[in-house]
Amino acid sequence: MAASQKEISVSEFFAKNRHLLGFDNPRRALLTAVKEAVDNALDACEEAGLLPEIWVHLESTGPNRFKVGIQDNGPGIVKAQIPLIFGKLLYGSKFHRLRMSRGQQGIGISAAGMYGLLTTGKPVKIMSKVSVRKPAHYYEIQIDTKRNRPEIVNGRGEGVDIPPGQQGAKAIEKHGIEWIESDHGTRVTIELEGRFHRGRGSVDEYLEQTAIANPHVTLHYLDPEGNTRVYQRVAEVLPHEPREIKPHPYGVELGRLVGLLKETKAPTISQFLTASFSKVSPAVARQICEQAKVSTRASTRKIGRHEADLIYHAIQETKIRPPSTDCLSPIGEELILKGLHQVVPGEFYAAATRPPAVYRGNPFQIEVGLAYGGGSTAHRVTREELAELLGQSDARTLRQFLATSFEGLGLDSADKILAEAGAKTRVSPGNLKPKEIDRLHHAMRSINLSDGQTMNVLRYANRVPLQFQAGGCAITQTVTATNWRSYGLSQSRGAMPRGPATIMVHMASVWVPFTSESKEAIASYPEIQKELRLALQAVGRKLGMYLRRRRRVKHEGERRNLFLRYLGEVARATSQINQADQKWLHDQLLAVAKHRTAQADVKLDDRGRPIDEEELNLGGNVLIVDPADRIAEKINGNGDSSNQTSER
Amino acid sequence: MATKKTVKPLLGPRDERTLGQLTGLADGVVAAADKKRDPHMDIPTRALSNVRYNQSKKILEMGANTTRRQLFNLSQAKSFMQTMLVASGTKQLIDQGKTTSIRGLFYLLKHTIEGTREETFADQSECDPVIEDTEVLLGSLREEMHLYAQKRGDMVGQLVLTDQGDEIDCSRMGSGGYGIPSIVEPETIRFKKCDARFVLHVEKDTVWQRFNEDKFWRKHKCILTHGGGQPSRGVRRLLYRLHNELKLPVYCLLDNDPWGYYIYSVIKQGSINLAYESRRMAIPGARFLGLRSKDFERCKLSDSVKINLSDTDRRRAKQIANYPWFAKKKPWQVEIKRMLANGFKLEVEALISKDISYVTEEYAPARLKEKDWLD
Repeated sequence: MAASQKEISVSEFFAKNRHLLGFDNPRRALLTAVKEAVDNALDACEEAGLLPEIWVHLESTGPNRFKVGIQDNGPGIVKAQIPLIFGKLLYGSKFHRLRMSRGQQGIGISAAGMYGLLTTGKPVKIMSKVSVRKPAHYYEIQIDTKRNRPEIVNGRGEGVDIPPGQQGAKAIEKHGIEWIESDHGTRVTIELEGRFHRGRGSVDEYLEQTAIANPHVTLHYLDPEGNTRVYQRVAEVLPHEPREIKPHPYGVELGRLVGLLKETKAPTISQFLTASFSKVSPAVARQICEQAKVSTRASTRKIGRHEADLIYHAIQETKIRPPSTDCLSPIGEELILKGLHQVVPGEFYAAATRPPAVYRGNPFQIEVGLAYGGGSTAHRVTREELAELLGQSDARTLRQFLATSFEGLGLDSADKILAEAGAKTRVSPGNLKPKEIDRLHHAMRSINLSDGQTMNVLRYANRVPLQFQAGGCAITQTVTATNWRSYGLSQSRGAMPRGPATIMVHMASVWVPFTSESKEAIASYPEIQKELRLALQAVGRKLGMYLRRRRRVKHEGERRNLFLRYLGEVARATSQINQADQKWLHDQLLAVAKHRTAQADVKLDDRGRPIDEEELNLGGNVLIVDPADRIAEKINGNGDSSNQTSER
Repeated sequence: MATKKTVKPLLGPRDERTLGQLTGLADGVVAAADKKRDPHMDIPTRALSNVRYNQSKKILEMGANTTRRQLFNLSQAKSFMQTMLVASGTKQLIDQGKTTSIRGLFYLLKHTIEGTREETFADQSECDPVIEDTEVLLGSLREEMHLYAQKRGDMVGQLVLTDQGDEIDCSRMGSGGYGIPSIVEPETIRFKKCDARFVLHVEKDTVWQRFNEDKFWRKHKCILTHGGGQPSRGVRRLLYRLHNELKLPVYCLLDNDPWGYYIYSVIKQGSINLAYESRRMAIPGARFLGLRSKDFERCKLSDSVKINLSDTDRRRAKQIANYPWFAKKKPWQVEIKRMLANGFKLEVEALISKDISYVTEEYAPARLKEKDWLD
């Protein structure tokens, strides 16, 4: 028995339990690989103070095999670090510090590499360039799962240098990778088993959502079918760099405290407390020690389990100021609006950033952005895209296909579409004849989806989109628990509100409490839920004001229509009696009608624009877009919205 | 709807006046539009609140209250438009020298509003009150607007008249009687010879048939009319003329229920809705011959003819008792109270349960002889 007992390496553990890291199925694996690489790239660029520009390249290399290439314009990685970063699990700069960043544990990218190696046998290929003057390094790395160590495959374990210019380009091509010419940056190429799909939980969706929450990023995306999509940055300023902080005493558990005590170089307990934690002044340290009945000058070496326990409890009972919150870097209301507007079509946008708050000693901040109006993706999909989606779908029934492929389209709406198209509910999406697809496409465009449309919730943690486990996430739970009825949306009890709305919720924190390793759902701490609720209510109130206003204006419009309808009759009848000029009279009455319903008229002339400040005082951070402008924008093909929108 | 430019028919002085009123109405709209004001019309209110009981004349008169109807008011826009349409329809009728029924006018004016699926008038019940509004607004009578209503009510008796030149002997009308037209003005109907001593007005056709078959009018030298329930303006106007021009007393034989009381009230004082017509229709001398609430005992009727009073009946009876023209009449108060105390109402037809001709051979002659009526 003893002979078979042996140490398990982290890599081995995760190789067997890859679902913990998000590699449970081929579809998810592709997404996770892209996601980890992009998150790392973004963090690298931002830390170096560079405006990120990311290239994502997916290429099909065989049945269910993809080559994923992600390049950034970051600072590059020094030669010695490359193998460790990409070839060793749980190696990273982010785990030990308390600072807001996308990645946390340092599992992601190396796990993606490991998955690639397991499924295709191909090593991870990394090319990194630190500056113009130096040659790029090229490594092919395998992870030694037994020992959790990188193995460099090429250049006899040393990697190779790729010279710049023609010669280099040839070398690159020989290795089967791409390189977009740049002064500095890193490109990771992983070949893995995966499946490409569109719709929910897809790479497309991830990149789109990333673009919303990171308006300072330019994303180039080349999908396996050769389509390019570019998300141009709308903000030219980097988010301010989050500062690293020491842990706050409230957030430290007993075990961690003991560990810190062992590690510390501070000689006395008082010095230990002030040096290891934030917001602990010598006075506060003395209070803690008094409470714990431990001398402030007690040596840290001599603190035993019992004393540590006393100190731990003393900390909980001592009043300590909340941690400083400058370690957070929220997106900011203005950029949320810009980001949302660039990606999500709508007519009304509102954003709210809450002041920072603290849970378990960890500072965090909640931001919410809301887009209202605009069609569902089901309205925008083209005939060709639909056919393609149908072909790729592995949903068993057409109904399921509709509900899972399009945002904000529930089963109710799916039923409506199917009824309109005259299609059978249980037919398989892959077996549709072209004529049936035509009918379905027509039905999707003609059905009014906003009735059955439910709110689309985009969740973010430290600017990273969360695409799975929506049900278990504090954000989803809080959205459904909020009463949206008072803000003009319909909502059944305990369900998502209905209406053509998209809401993005961002939690920025030095330590986001995920419910699992795959980092897809935020745990429901009461402090977090409270902040979420307040932020949602803030945007909800603005939406409510806008919708009420819109309803009133609509009413005014109807009123004017009513008058207009009868004016012709009145003018004709009158002129029949006294031979007055019918046209003149009609015009004259029309002028009176316009004057009488001036409010509605202003709205008609200049739709969607707030009319006067007393009437619609939404406060700041609201963006209202004229639907007519949006179409114009689409035709012109420019995403620049500054001249067409009024921002207040 | 283009007016035919044919030879213009001769306009009488009444037509000239109506046309003047119509033009005034249209000019008001034009003037308002010219000044970019909201066009409006002030229509005399046709409601109890705007009705005054003239103690000396003993008729209902319309007060001075008006209701403003505006084009730019959500709830009034449509009726404003409809009023203008009725006015223009009237103008066409006068221009062409033609008359039409109110139903005809409804069809003349009913069309789909341009650019909508909405009809100018949904049905006739929407059109009729607008016509009445226009009457009061213009201060013109219906016949002055070249309109007439559906003929209702019949007449038979010792009277010879000419109707548009045709001589009609009302004693030779067989079982059907002479249908009373909607317009009975002297221009249309002239009385030639009258041997009758009074007019007996009954509520409904069935009772009228009974009296006619029994030739009551011949035996008692009278004129027999009915109005088919609430008498139309034609019937009322004819009764008025018979009463005032031929000096015939008018007796009413109506049901013993609030509805019957109100019919009597309308004949006697005029109606609330058409108070502006009372002057030429109300007959303050009209008398209520029956049925009386005491008739159940007096005529020894069987229980089976009782009809229980509904809540609406009770409410209505109390309303009627409070009308100023009933309030000060003690016999009426007693009468209404007794009906309420009885808890049932009686129809004239109830007398048939005694004997088919009881009403004509005993009841009516006895009442007339005893002069037992309510005033």
